[in-house]
Amino acid sequence: MATVMDQLVGFGLVAFSLILFVYYTIWIIILPFIDSDHGIHKLFLPREYSVTIPVIAGLFLVLFVGVFVMTVMWKNRKPAKKSD
Amino acid sequence: MTKLMQWLFVLALLGTAWATLALGPLGHHLPLPCQQVLHPFPAYLLVAAGCYSLATVGYRLATFNDCEAAAQELQEQIKEARMDLWRRGLKF
Repeated sequence: MATVMDQLVGFGLVAFSLILFVYYTIWIIILPFIDSDHGIHKLFLPREYSVTIPVIAGLFLVLFVGVFVMTVMWKNRKPAKKSD
Repeated sequence: MTKLMQWLFVLALLGTAWATLALGPLGHHLPLPCQQVLHPFPAYLLVAAGCYSLATVGYRLATFNDCEAAAQELQEQIKEARMDLWRRGLKF
């Protein structure tokens, strides 16, 4: 059974991804159609960052996964076979 | 057609459409807001897919449960099978 901690983490992930999706959608899809002197533009970074930030985040993710796999494999490595 | 080929086909189709519209080799010009939407659109699709998978993982984690009734039923069946085998003379 999912504990309270699991539920907290799970719904936290759901909430985080929903917020991220809504924010990114507004930033990418809706913002170009709003006048550039509107106050809502102050809430968002310049458009140049809209691609570089996901790319950098993806690189960090790949790096993290790589380090994780490396540590797991390092910990589980079999003792070296004796030379025959 | 394998699943991989389907995905590659769809990706190639989308990529061609995006390149045609965004890079404009035909010499046409979309209005500026449309261009601004179109330019980061692949990154947007990627982020949307990432959000979806993250939400799926989170939701499945939060609603993970173990099946009490099914476990009970399985234990009953194991007991029945043991009894049956024992009656036929099998020693455990």
